Amino acid sequence: MHRLPTLLSGIFLVFLISWLGLVAYPVTQLGRLTPVPDPETGGTLPAVYGGQALAGQRIYATEGCISCHSQQVRQTSVTSSDIERGWGTRPSVARDYLRDSTAFLGSRRLGQDLSNVGVRLPNAKWHYIHLYHPSAVCPGSLMPAFSDLFIVRKIQGQRSDEALDLKGSDAPKPGYEVVPTAEAKNLVAYLLALRHDYPLPEAPVKKAGAAQAK
Amino acid sequence: MSHHTLPHQLVPGHEPVDSKAIDASIRLPVMILFGNAIHWLVIACLLSLVVSIKLIAPGFLGGISFLTYGRLAPMARDLMLYGWASQAALGAGVWLMARLCGRPLGGGDGQGMGGMLLRTLIISATVLWNLAVLLGTLAILAGYSTGVEWLEYPNWASAMLLLSFLLIGIWTVLLFDRRSNPRAEVAQWYLVAAFCWFPWVYGTANLLLIWKPVQASAQGPIQSWYCGSILALWLLPVALAGIYSLLPRLLGCTLNRRNLATLGFWMLLLLGGWNGMERLIGGPVPAWMTSAGVVAGVLFMIPVAIVMINIFGMSRNAENLATQSIPSKFLFMGAYSVLGVGILGALVSLPDISASLRFTGVTEGKTQLWILGAISLPLFGVMYEAVPQLLGRDCWNATLSARHYILTIVGLWMLVGIMVLGGLFTGLALSDPTVSFLNITSYSYPFHLMECAAQLILLAATVIFGANITRALAADYLLNKKHR
Repeated sequence: MHRLPTLLSGIFLVFLISWLGLVAYPVTQLGRLTPVPDPETGGTLPAVYGGQALAGQRIYATEGCISCHSQQVRQTSVTSSDIERGWGTRPSVARDYLRDSTAFLGSRRLGQDLSNVGVRLPNAKWHYIHLYHPSAVCPGSLMPAFSDLFIVRKIQGQRSDEALDLKGSDAPKPGYEVVPTAEAKNLVAYLLALRHDYPLPEAPVKKAGAAQAK
Repeated sequence: MSHHTLPHQLVPGHEPVDSKAIDASIRLPVMILFGNAIHWLVIACLLSLVVSIKLIAPGFLGGISFLTYGRLAPMARDLMLYGWASQAALGAGVWLMARLCGRPLGGGDGQGMGGMLLRTLIISATVLWNLAVLLGTLAILAGYSTGVEWLEYPNWASAMLLLSFLLIGIWTVLLFDRRSNPRAEVAQWYLVAAFCWFPWVYGTANLLLIWKPVQASAQGPIQSWYCGSILALWLLPVALAGIYSLLPRLLGCTLNRRNLATLGFWMLLLLGGWNGMERLIGGPVPAWMTSAGVVAGVLFMIPVAIVMINIFGMSRNAENLATQSIPSKFLFMGAYSVLGVGILGALVSLPDISASLRFTGVTEGKTQLWILGAISLPLFGVMYEAVPQLLGRDCWNATLSARHYILTIVGLWMLVGIMVLGGLFTGLALSDPTVSFLNITSYSYPFHLMECAAQLILLAATVIFGANITRALAADYLLNKKHR
């Protein structure tokens, strides 16, 4: 091992082991997972993202949501607390991420897990208010306000259907309204599309009664 | 400190070159790397402080889209990894390799035409590295982050980093074959390995996650492999090379148990790549992968123990006087931090512990102990030893050095301690579904507050370090001007 080629070969061989296991294997095995047919709708599972949700996924990446939010419900063999907290009905599996461009698994939970946020909080209006001023709906939340994703404008004629119903100090001046930008709409479309409550062959969903008993 | 802390044995045909000539051949590139690394470190610490303030006052600097937590936190982390640690490791690696091999960079006496061309190339590469860090950081700020943890730089910035590394790294690895000592030291092995691994690890991860992303169902293991490898297989080996090569020379004793050190090297190599898989325990990957991560996390204690046996087996016959110097103090504390990451890493690899602590401050505290402790402290030690030799005179202000040392140690242990303690509390609360999430957030407030204090101390330490190097470089510049 005192000659460079010998040392390099040794280094190469030993390092190859983890590369084969953690890079080559996932690429060739997990990377070839395919969607399964959805018997209920005739579509596929996981469902394809709509155009807005796909654009929203980029916002999720560039705003660094992953710094505080995970997207994974852990195996019950490790902990059942993720499911008991209502973050999902079954553990996440590799196939769940098939439609994503990036797997936003996350490593910290300064905020809640979002793998099933579309199931848990299906109301777009709630998300707009929450993004505009998080502590208005979640007192004590650490989440920053993404007020830049909204515009405050003068009401032209009739108040927009999209205008946020803000209360107290958040409410705009009389005659003004707060409406979401295209980015906010895309981001919320993506959040609402985060639903992994369907059964997969490798991840069946337990009967609803069992989950609610907790 | 003598100018000959790195002596070498003779090999026929490979006469060692005077250490001053070696230093002269690499002085400019290494000083560019060191100087810029330290200044990025100051900025990274400042951003880390702002980020920690945002956790106690979410409205702080609020309403400005590019100053949200989600953009500043990855900026701080990437500056720590690429602006500071990787750049400092590059500089330390080039200097240690050239001195250990007894050869100037670029062959011959380092003064010929080839040497000059090579030096120009390497200096251009160091500029390219810093340009990539600057533009990558601004890209995150401007909202072009990739959203992949630790790989947030856009594709062009990461390509620039890789190219820059290759331009510097190839010559460093080739030095090994032209070394003057027949029997290579373990430190030299660590350097060769580290300089081979960075391009491999960084190139693979960027190719498969950023440049030409694979299907996201396969990305989880690659992300974890990258996070584990970049610390354990690139930065840690350079830090260990510093510990293994400099400590015995600073203390005037020899490294015992060379065979054990060799075993430690191969063990680290074998386990380092798997080490990151504990980041996915219970996650959406095949169970055997996380099991391998658990095993690797626990077995990682073996190479860590070997480093401890080597270092403390050696220091027993050392004189107390020598341990007082700043470089050896930093190297020793670095060795203790390696022990710390070994123990903490083994504990959080255990599935029962991971179940409650995986997404809490314990994970963050462990990462901080890795980057700021096990990696940065030895790199500080190498810098304190290298810079006076490169500049040719004792350039450090002793008061500033001593303050930098004490504040770094206090800030680091406080930060890691608070994060681990806070993580324990939130982890236990998170495992109890009857405790609401917002309730847990309010429990963590005092811990976030103390984190701010620790970040402030660390910022003070790095500002002092920054002032120390700026002072040294300014004095050097004035001295050279006078001579001209």
